[in-house]
Amino acid sequence: MHFSPIATMRAGATVAELTEASIPKLAAGCRWGGTTENPVVLFPEGAIRVEGTGRVILELCDGKLALAEIMQRLEAQFMLAPKDKIRADVRMFLERLHDKRIVDF
Amino acid sequence: MQNPLALIAEVTHRCPLHCVYCSNPLELIARTEELATGDWLRVFNEAAALGVLHLHLTGGEPITRPDIAELIAGARESRLYTNLITSGIGLNRERLAQLVGAGLDHIQLSFQDSEEGHANWIAGTRAHAHKLELAEWIREHRIAFTANLVVHRQNIDHLDQMIAGLEALQPDRMEIAHAQYYGWALKNRSALLPTRTQLDRAITVVKAAEERMRGRVRIDMVVPDYHARFPKACMGGWGRQLLLIDPSGDVLPCHAATVIPGMTFDSVLEHSLDWIWQNSGAFQKFRGEDWMPEPCRSCDRRKEDFGGCRCQAFLLAGDASLTDPVCELSPLHHLIEDAVREDTAGPRGESSQAPFHVLQEKMADFWSYRTDPK
Repeated sequence: MHFSPIATMRAGATVAELTEASIPKLAAGCRWGGTTENPVVLFPEGAIRVEGTGRVILELCDGKLALAEIMQRLEAQFMLAPKDKIRADVRMFLERLHDKRIVDF
Repeated sequence: MQNPLALIAEVTHRCPLHCVYCSNPLELIARTEELATGDWLRVFNEAAALGVLHLHLTGGEPITRPDIAELIAGARESRLYTNLITSGIGLNRERLAQLVGAGLDHIQLSFQDSEEGHANWIAGTRAHAHKLELAEWIREHRIAFTANLVVHRQNIDHLDQMIAGLEALQPDRMEIAHAQYYGWALKNRSALLPTRTQLDRAITVVKAAEERMRGRVRIDMVVPDYHARFPKACMGGWGRQLLLIDPSGDVLPCHAATVIPGMTFDSVLEHSLDWIWQNSGAFQKFRGEDWMPEPCRSCDRRKEDFGGCRCQAFLLAGDASLTDPVCELSPLHHLIEDAVREDTAGPRGESSQAPFHVLQEKMADFWSYRTDPK
């Protein structure tokens, strides 16, 4: 699978504190919905269709894994992608969703 | 044709508040005509099967329905994301816990002002103190919490204080919604419409608040279209994304559609929601682009704003099939400019810090309060 979580999302500004020890999870009032073939993340007043890499990342945000562990798993799954790119992209993806109050950490 | 994404269920028109900007129609539906629990539950199931993701339970005050917990549980069982839009009146700590237990995902609590007297004056009843108490109870649960504030000429000058007041309640989201001029708000427009200067200042205030609260509170702003250059994409396009069911079961493409003469609506008591979405004349009337007049028909913006609001075209220009006069390209745009000029010169209320009883006494005829259905 090609590693490109950002491409599946709309642009948005981002500043937030996300550390290796942070445990990202869906924020209060946000949850999975839609169908098994077309899953979406539901939040107040909207839904995002998360496909491909974005879906893989969000499924790892189960409230148990810390960011460091999530990164390790993604690095193992996307062996062909440079580690720095994976780390940067995952951070940007989670920070954007944090600003939208969809992900907490 | 795409499937609808959200269902707005006006489960009752009864409401303990009398807000002067209420978007309900002037002709309200009586309790005796309200749909029964079982009808709503069937409709929620049909909506989910049709592809609807979000259910917005509103009114009137949805809490006045004794079966509201049952409705929430049924909606959740149908896999709908359930939002309760409430004034909070009638919700105590126990009942709130019951609704959360039934599967409520999101609660949207409305505020009229940060100053108690002024807030109660706008709502026409003593509601503000209870809302503050309820906000604390909401934070005891893990659900999404939106604090909603309607902004207009009588409160816009202390918007920064109102935002700070809402921030203290620790919501996940704030909705700063400028009044939209339909229903009771249109009736009270000359007391509500802000000036251009007030609006510009308010936008600066909201932008600064957004920066300050980034990552803590998400702010969504609804701007007043009377000051815009182009119309809003009303309801995301007529019959394109949303359905609204009124308390009696009639299915409407938007809140205000009953004002358009000659429209007939189909009821969930006679047809399935799927049939109504596809075939109801009310939904077909302004769906797509065939109905569009010039300048919309040849305009590139038609795919963004869908010609604006049909109800506003009727209310202001007398014909629902004209371009929304908000659009600066509309030959009737002067109607909006005239309204802004005349109405913003209208009356100003007392200081926002005046107590409720003083405002009531001194300003008895200032505006028309929303009445309650029989």
